[in-house]
Amino acid sequence: MSSALVARSLVNQRVATALVHKSFRPLALQVRKSHSDTVYVPGGPIYKGTVNDPTTFPPPNRSHGSYHWAFERLLSAALVPMTAAAFVTSGSSYPVLDGILGISLVVHSHLGFDSIVVDYLHPRKFPVIGPASTWTLRALTVATLVGVYQFNTNDIGLTELIAKVWHA
Amino acid sequence: MQSLVARSALARSAARVPTRSFASSAARFQATPTEKPVLTKEFKIYRWNPDEPAKKPTLQSYTIDLNQTGPMILDALIKIKNEIDPTLTFRRSCREGICGSCAMNINGQNTLACLCRIDRDASKDTKIYPLPHMYIVKDLVPDLTLFYKQYKSIEPYLQNDNPPEGREYLQSQDDRRKLDGMYECILCACCSTSCPSYWWNQDVYLGPATLMAAYRWIADSRDTYKAQRKEKLQNEMSLYRCHTIFNCARTCPKGLNPAQAIAKLKLELAAD
Repeated sequence: MSSALVARSLVNQRVATALVHKSFRPLALQVRKSHSDTVYVPGGPIYKGTVNDPTTFPPPNRSHGSYHWAFERLLSAALVPMTAAAFVTSGSSYPVLDGILGISLVVHSHLGFDSIVVDYLHPRKFPVIGPASTWTLRALTVATLVGVYQFNTNDIGLTELIAKVWHA
Repeated sequence: MQSLVARSALARSAARVPTRSFASSAARFQATPTEKPVLTKEFKIYRWNPDEPAKKPTLQSYTIDLNQTGPMILDALIKIKNEIDPTLTFRRSCREGICGSCAMNINGQNTLACLCRIDRDASKDTKIYPLPHMYIVKDLVPDLTLFYKQYKSIEPYLQNDNPPEGREYLQSQDDRRKLDGMYECILCACCSTSCPSYWWNQDVYLGPATLMAAYRWIADSRDTYKAQRKEKLQNEMSLYRCHTIFNCARTCPKGLNPAQAIAKLKLELAAD
């Protein structure tokens, strides 16, 4: 309590900065405990740095940024004509189209689910469940891709299956 | 008879001092003040006192006469604080929607109390909460420290290494028009605190208000640090946690559209 008060007062700026370098400084007024033993909680009431420090950015990486976003959008847009093409043709006469549609659907779903994992189960908040769910998702995606490949090469293929179910 | 007297008095005074005529006759036209009926309405307001941290936050009910209150929610809050409960705590300053202090959640919508009219339907109560998903300092006062730290991180000022010699920056009307709808933002945090992505990932996602401010400088023709500004946002969290939910555009009490600014920002980053 007393050390928090010292840190908060601007009189002893030197002590405050020394403490800041040692540990993160609590700023929310709810936190009344001494901060020397507190650690940064993602999204919690304890901020990184002082009130006047701007927040920091993760290292720039285009494949996590604009490339990822552009790929996501282009894939979503491309699925529309692909689905339409699958409707008007038959899967057995155009196996390549069938295969591309199968892969695109799986990748599209993977990106969507991955977004959910990043939003709700990010490793910075969930150090165990976060990576576990990411790898589970990757495993499921690979398994689905293998399944789609097997189904399209050894069986009737996706488009034919949907057509069959449709008419059943 | 009385009117005759008055008229003659008016005529006399008009003859002497023509400019005073209206002033001397004004009392005749003044209506007697009408007694307005009492229109009581219940306000349920979120209360939490940091001095009693163990006590859970509660909704406290206040009933006031709407006919003795101004038209806006802020008027009601000030009336409650003045006349009923001086411990009620909220931020307010300009009372005309330009300072952004009185942002709060009124009947489920983030808005400025000074720009939000009181619903005159007395049968329904009005619920007032602080901005959602923020740490609370007291009652209706949220802790906006992180919000301001994030705003600071996008360097919200003009950066140009070659300022024009001996004159001001020139800008075409078209370039200036690109800033309309963005420079009006008053940073009240209504949009950011209405965004579910900001709720879950506040510490890493910048939120609509800060992103619109970021785009305001990227769109500015006078700024030469566009590339650096864009590069900062090239990561998974800062910008791309926006999933075009549009709560920001819906809630903005100034009628701005942060979602559009974010969409343009994404497009510019993708076209880079």
